[in-house]
Amino acid sequence: MKTLTQIPLGTQLLFGKAAKKRRRIERTIFSVFEHWDYEEIIPPIFDYYDVFAKGMGAELEDTIYRFIDREGNVLALRPEFTSLVAKSVATRLADQPKPLRLCYCGEVLRYETPRGGRQREFFQIGVEHIGGEKIQADAEIILVAIESLKKLGIRKFQINLGEIGYFAGIVERIDFSQGDLVKIKKLIDLKDTAGLKAELERLSLSERRKNIILSLVHLTGNSDTIKTARQLVSNEKSLEALENLGALVAELKKHKIDEHIAIDLSEVRGIDYYTGTIFKIYVPGLGFEIGGGGRYDNLLKNFGCDLPSVGFSFSLERLMSLEN
Amino acid sequence: MKDTLTIALSKGRLLDDALVLLRKAGIELAESDTNSRKLVIADTQKRFQFFMLKPIDVPTYVEYGVADAGIAGRDVLVESTADIHQPLDLRIGYCRMVVAAPKAAARQNYRELSAVRIATKYPRITTEYFTQRGVPVEIIPLSGSVELAPLLGLSDRIVDLVSSGRTLAENGLQVVEPIMDISARLVVNRASYQIKRKQVIDLIDRLAQVVEK
Repeated sequence: MKTLTQIPLGTQLLFGKAAKKRRRIERTIFSVFEHWDYEEIIPPIFDYYDVFAKGMGAELEDTIYRFIDREGNVLALRPEFTSLVAKSVATRLADQPKPLRLCYCGEVLRYETPRGGRQREFFQIGVEHIGGEKIQADAEIILVAIESLKKLGIRKFQINLGEIGYFAGIVERIDFSQGDLVKIKKLIDLKDTAGLKAELERLSLSERRKNIILSLVHLTGNSDTIKTARQLVSNEKSLEALENLGALVAELKKHKIDEHIAIDLSEVRGIDYYTGTIFKIYVPGLGFEIGGGGRYDNLLKNFGCDLPSVGFSFSLERLMSLEN
Repeated sequence: MKDTLTIALSKGRLLDDALVLLRKAGIELAESDTNSRKLVIADTQKRFQFFMLKPIDVPTYVEYGVADAGIAGRDVLVESTADIHQPLDLRIGYCRMVVAAPKAAARQNYRELSAVRIATKYPRITTEYFTQRGVPVEIIPLSGSVELAPLLGLSDRIVDLVSSGRTLAENGLQVVEPIMDISARLVVNRASYQIKRKQVIDLIDRLAQVVEK
């Protein structure tokens, strides 16, 4: 049988030096998490499909591995940890004093083409901060991320901060169909100005709205970017998002980590459960982000417990691929 | 961290136009280099490093960040589905991707067939195009001289690029319908866009100024 010796696409086997290196990275990061009082949680590798489907959103939902059990329930292999942690907190840990600081490490599974730093089975290590004061919590987990990187000996990195609410506020009052919105998001994500212009033309938006969306594409840079962004909008949601972002940047300034912080308001893609601050971490020499996270204030509500939360994770494969 | 920006260039039909555009933008490559067989070339002011690649490989180099940026036709970008930024239409390398067929086959509407057999260098785009129209498609993947396939009976039709239409005509083929307009794009790696933002934005701006309106 051919399949006895073949390797399924997107899986990996670690041994020898690589396995040692991987465990060393895990221990180093966990020591930082522990130091910040994050307690480990070990969730199951599969759960009901519905637990994940909503949070992943239309774009990523298709990547979930699902299967049917003997009673006919639809189950899924976990495509991420956050929904599982949220579910546990909303149910089993509902009585625990807040804020809750939890951390995890393990494999997640997504049906993706293995390329460009993606695997089908990949490992995440991360934290969730649940029920805390927002700006403080956002700042805290970014500091945890920074300390983890430093402890791993990674000195050069950049954290791009964004706010989902900014874009959400802009498109909220435009009458897009779901399909149009997905298309617009995709074009912004590609930074395809030409394509975006044509698409906005087709949707016959007002000049002002067209310009806002087109400006969004390159809304990246230092903290001045927030000022530029403010001049573009007048809706409450976007303004509030910028206020949050400004407050977070001010909070982070106290910790003298400015050199690592950048602003990116053009980030509109990704997992659907994010509601506020989002961030991505880049390291020179690697063509894709090494980790990221964000705020998900509405996710726990799905499980019957309304608590603001924020979290992030690193990709262990990508950390592994960095030179020491 | 090195400060030079690395740029992947497509050898072949796009290269001359790309070099002209770069020169207009103040980025000069020595002719002795571009006419040589060197695969890695620096510009005369040594601010950039260029990789000379097969067009289809450009998106891959950029996706992995081995090249910070690149110049690639929309055909290979769509076909590769590489996850990269495409900030600028360079308005060079214009052509169309079309379905073409020998005259007899061209007269028959392929929608009436139970299945079509297509020779192409673009299996992904072709499959998507026909399945969206509800027509099952059998792909004959080729890497060159696609026009030959219908002549020898390897396929009923082809999907390929056409600019003047001369190659098609000389091989007794005609356009059945257009699939998309193609031109070259500046592409940028996602991490490079963030980490080397100043240089990347400078490159985008320089090129944007000299792109024909």
